[in-house]
Amino acid sequence: MDPISYFQAAVLGLLQGVAELFPISSLGHSVILPRLLGWDIHQNDDYFVTFLVATHFATAIVLFVFFREDWKRILTGMGRSLRDREIAADDTDAKLGWLLFAGTIPAGLLGLALEHALRSAFASAQSAAGFLVLNGVMLYGAERLRRRAPAPGDGGGDADAVIARRLGWRAALGIGTAQAIALIPGFSRSGASMGGGLLAGLSNEHAARFSFLLATPIIGAAALLKLPELFGAQGDGIRGPALLGAVCAAFTAYLAVRFLVRFFATNRLTPFAVYCTAAGAVLSVVFLAT
Amino acid sequence: MTKNRRLILPAVLAGIALLVVAALYLAEAAGDLPSFFPGHEAGSGRHHVKHGIAAAAVAAACFVVAWFQTEPKSRRGAAAA
Repeated sequence: MDPISYFQAAVLGLLQGVAELFPISSLGHSVILPRLLGWDIHQNDDYFVTFLVATHFATAIVLFVFFREDWKRILTGMGRSLRDREIAADDTDAKLGWLLFAGTIPAGLLGLALEHALRSAFASAQSAAGFLVLNGVMLYGAERLRRRAPAPGDGGGDADAVIARRLGWRAALGIGTAQAIALIPGFSRSGASMGGGLLAGLSNEHAARFSFLLATPIIGAAALLKLPELFGAQGDGIRGPALLGAVCAAFTAYLAVRFLVRFFATNRLTPFAVYCTAAGAVLSVVFLAT
Repeated sequence: MTKNRRLILPAVLAGIALLVVAALYLAEAAGDLPSFFPGHEAGSGRHHVKHGIAAAAVAAACFVVAWFQTEPKSRRGAAAA
């Protein structure tokens, strides 16, 4: 019998694709849902970690394909700047590429250093629900403390040029570092990076765009590092469900990124703050009671 | 972009040191690493591959920083003319 059934894999995959990009904590929801549904799946089980590798990899592929034209320009710009040994003042693509590079390094290092310890320490659905409340507070706080109030026409013009102009190296490092909070189930990687973007002076639309671009290398690299586990002994009995989960995650990730790119052109993080706070509070009570 | 040529040598040296660290992590088991290395586990035979990759990534970042502090192609070309 598979440790994760195909039905469970489909449900978890569909959830993962949405929750990875929405600022509502994919890891938190992946911990909470099995507990709510009475499934015998725990986030520190090796096969579950291996399953998540597949769904994360699928999400990273979707993000890369969705933004493939942007990535072409960005990588070309980075190559150009390396050739010329400088980032030209008007080279938006190069500047954005190196900002993404700067944001990825601290997130990657913190992930490597802290992932296992934090997952072990906060492995329960109870703690995930509690941190989901704090995630809501974080999102709401980012909206309240944002450097610039949303203004009409914020979304106009070349988004990458605006991001490259408004974000400095320290801000990019800070936003990248903030992503590491998502190592704690209940906190959202995309929420932290979007919130960081707002605090750095970006609009909701541009903060979301930077967050999605930043997600691709960090999720992709984390998944790639663990892919050998999926194809090794640890993947025995899980590869079929993992493949189905990955396909489902890819489907909902594509729908999610399409929706969110349009959503944040005119909306804010507040609805997600309300959801996380309310859902986390209700779930905390439910888990306490049961 | 403001350049600081004094950063070049320290960045290159740091990059080289981190490449050596990366090589050690990849080549040596955790039990054979120097005791002050993060991840040293006496008697352990496992390799800290991820530590090695992380060290290599930071080394690459150091080399990139050093590269960008050197004279840009456009200015060298203009100076020669």
